[in-house]
Amino acid sequence: MEEIGKRRLAAVAAVFAGILYFFACASPLRKELVLEPVWARSLEPAAGGAPAAKPAKAQGARPAAEAGGAGTESSAKPHYFSLAGRFGYFDAEGELLYSAAVPYGVALAPDAFATYERLSAGFAIRSPSGEELARASLPGYPFFDAGRRFVLAPDQCSVTEIGPDGRALWSRQFGSVITAYGGSPDLAAFGLMDGSIVGLGLRGEELLSFAPGGSRLPGIYGVAVSPDGLLVAAVCGLDKQRLVVLEKRSSAYRVTFHRWLDSDFRRPLAMSFTADGRNLVYEAPGGAGIYERGTRRESLIAAGSVGRVGEAVEGLGMLALLAGSGEERLLVCASPDDRRLIDLRLRASDASLEVDGNSFFLGLDGNLIRMDLREE
Amino acid sequence: MARLALRGRAAALLACAAGAALAALDWPLSSPSLAATFGTAAPGGLVTGLALASTGGLVRAVEGGEILFCADAPGGRSPLPSALGSFVIVEHARQVAGVYSHLAPGSASDYLRKVKPGDILGAAGASGWTEGEGLLFQAFDRKEGRWVNPLLLLPPLGDDKPPVIRSLSLLRAGKSYPLGETRSLGQGVYGIALESSDPSAAPWTAGPLAPYSIRLVIDGALAARCVFDVARASGGELVFFSEGPRAAAALRGGEGRYVLAERLLARGKVVFEVQVEDAAGNRRSASWSVLVE
Repeated sequence: MEEIGKRRLAAVAAVFAGILYFFACASPLRKELVLEPVWARSLEPAAGGAPAAKPAKAQGARPAAEAGGAGTESSAKPHYFSLAGRFGYFDAEGELLYSAAVPYGVALAPDAFATYERLSAGFAIRSPSGEELARASLPGYPFFDAGRRFVLAPDQCSVTEIGPDGRALWSRQFGSVITAYGGSPDLAAFGLMDGSIVGLGLRGEELLSFAPGGSRLPGIYGVAVSPDGLLVAAVCGLDKQRLVVLEKRSSAYRVTFHRWLDSDFRRPLAMSFTADGRNLVYEAPGGAGIYERGTRRESLIAAGSVGRVGEAVEGLGMLALLAGSGEERLLVCASPDDRRLIDLRLRASDASLEVDGNSFFLGLDGNLIRMDLREE
Repeated sequence: MARLALRGRAAALLACAAGAALAALDWPLSSPSLAATFGTAAPGGLVTGLALASTGGLVRAVEGGEILFCADAPGGRSPLPSALGSFVIVEHARQVAGVYSHLAPGSASDYLRKVKPGDILGAAGASGWTEGEGLLFQAFDRKEGRWVNPLLLLPPLGDDKPPVIRSLSLLRAGKSYPLGETRSLGQGVYGIALESSDPSAAPWTAGPLAPYSIRLVIDGALAARCVFDVARASGGELVFFSEGPRAAAALRGGEGRYVLAERLLARGKVVFEVQVEDAAGNRRSASWSVLVE
C-alpha cells in the first residue's frame, strides 16, 4: 500500500513539475531565418547600346528599401562588381549606375575605379558614374584597397601609392617579388617571395618588417590586415605551412598566435578579416579556416575550395562564404563553429558575393541578384 | 676565357665551392633569343633578369628543384594584380630561386611539386606587363637577398657580335653635351652618360640590351666600373652592381643610356675612354676628348 502511495505521489509531482515548467520556463520559438530574393538583373547591355534592362523584382517582394530585418539595413553606398568580363556599380535597388567591359584589368573601390590595358603606362581614375577624377602616369597595374590607391610596377617588386590627384605619394622597391597583399586604411602589408612581410604606413614608412621563418622553405602565400590595423595575419612557408598572427603592442608588431597547418598551398590564397574585424577567414584544405580574434579560437567551415572569404553578416555572428570552382558554386552562411544557416548550391562559371548588413549581393556570370536575410 | 672568368665570378657570387656546379643549369627555352638582358632600361625600370622572345615555346626548369609559388593571371583570388602575369617560382639548388614569368595564361604547371631539370613549367606567353611574347627569367639569390644576372649561370650563347657604343655625353643642368660634337665646355660637375647596347636578334626587345660591363677611364684613371652582375633593394631603392653599388634611378639615363658617374671637370683637355663588354666576352672601346675652359 505504501509503495502505491509513493508512486502516485511521484506521478502527481511529475505532472505538477511539467505544468510549472510549461508556464515558468516557456519561451517563444526563435523565428526561422530565410534568404528572400529581392531582385535580379542582367548585366548584359540591351540591344542597340540602350541601357541594360531594369531589375526584375521577385514576386511578392517588398521594395528593396523596405526589405531587411534580420540584421542591419544595407547601406546607401553604391556596390561594385567585377564579373564575367564586365565591371560596374549598382545601387541597393538594383539600378545599374555604371557598367563596362574590363579591358585587361580593373581596380575597383566604392568611390572610384581605374581600368587598365596589359601594357598600361597610365590610367584615369573615375567616379562610380564614370566621370574622370584624375589621371596617373605610371607604368604598371593599379589596385585600390581600404581607401588607398596603389600602382604595382611591371617588375612586381615595386609599389607606388598615388593620391586623389593621381600623383605619386611615395614609392617602395622591395627585395623580391610581391606575392601577397593585405591592407587597412593605415597599414599596407606586402608578402614577398623571400618569405618576409613588410608593412608600410601612409607616407610609405616601414611600420612592420618580419620574416616568419620556421618552415623548410620560406614564402608568403596570403596576408590579411584587420580593419583597425592592429592585427596582421599571414599564411607562410612550405613544409610545413603555418598561420602566423601578429598583433601591434605599443609601437611594434609581435607574434600573438601561430599554428602549423596541414595545407600545402603554393599559390595566392584568399585571406581576409571580416569587416567587423572579429574573425580572420583564410583558405584551408576543405573549407575556410576561422581564427576568432577575441578568443583566439580556431575552427573550420567545411566548404570545399573557398573563393571569396570573410563576409560577416552583421548582427548575427554569421559568416558568408562563396566556395566552389568550375561551374559548381556553394553559398554558405554559417557560424564560426560551422553551424549552418544556408547551403545554397549554384551553377556559374564566375561568381561574386558582397554582404552589406543583411543583404546578400550575389553575382552569377552575367547576373546580379539581391537576397535579404529575413526572420519568419 | 672571358666566359670562364664570368663563371668563376658567378660561383663567387653564389658562394659556391666550385663554379662547375653551375654548368648544370640549362636555358629555360630551347632557342633562346635575348629580348632584354640584366640591366636593360625598360619602361618602369631596369630589368633584373633575362627576357627571352618566343612564340609558344615550352618553358623548362633550368635545373631540378621544387615549385614554391604558382600564380595564374588575371583574376586570381588575391586583390593584388599580377604584373608578372602567370608565373612560377622554383626553388633550385644553392638557395637560388628561379622566377619564370609572363607564361601563357593557364599554362603554368600548378600540379607539380618537385621538378627535374628540363621539366615543363608552362608555355611562353605574353601575360602581365611585357612588351612581347616570351619569358622573363630571373634568378634570386636567397642567401644574399639579391637578383643575379642569369647570364652568369646559364650556358654561353654563341655570340661574336661586340656591343655597340653610340655616344658618351656630359650632362649638366638638364642639358646634354655629346662628346665628339662638343669641342669645349665650361668647368663644373657633370654627369657622364654612355649610350651603349648589345645587338639583339630577337623579334622584339624590352629596350636596347644592356652590356655586361662598362669601364670608364678619365685621364688615365678609372672613374667607374659598372658590372651588371647583381641587383638588390636597399633603402627602398633598386641598386645595381656588387662593387660600387649604384641606384637604378641614378644609373638610368633613358633608353640604352647609363649615367656612369658624376665628376668635377677642371680646366684643360680631358680624355675619356670607355670599354664595353658583353656576357660572351666581346668587347668594344672608344675614346673622346674635350677642352674644359
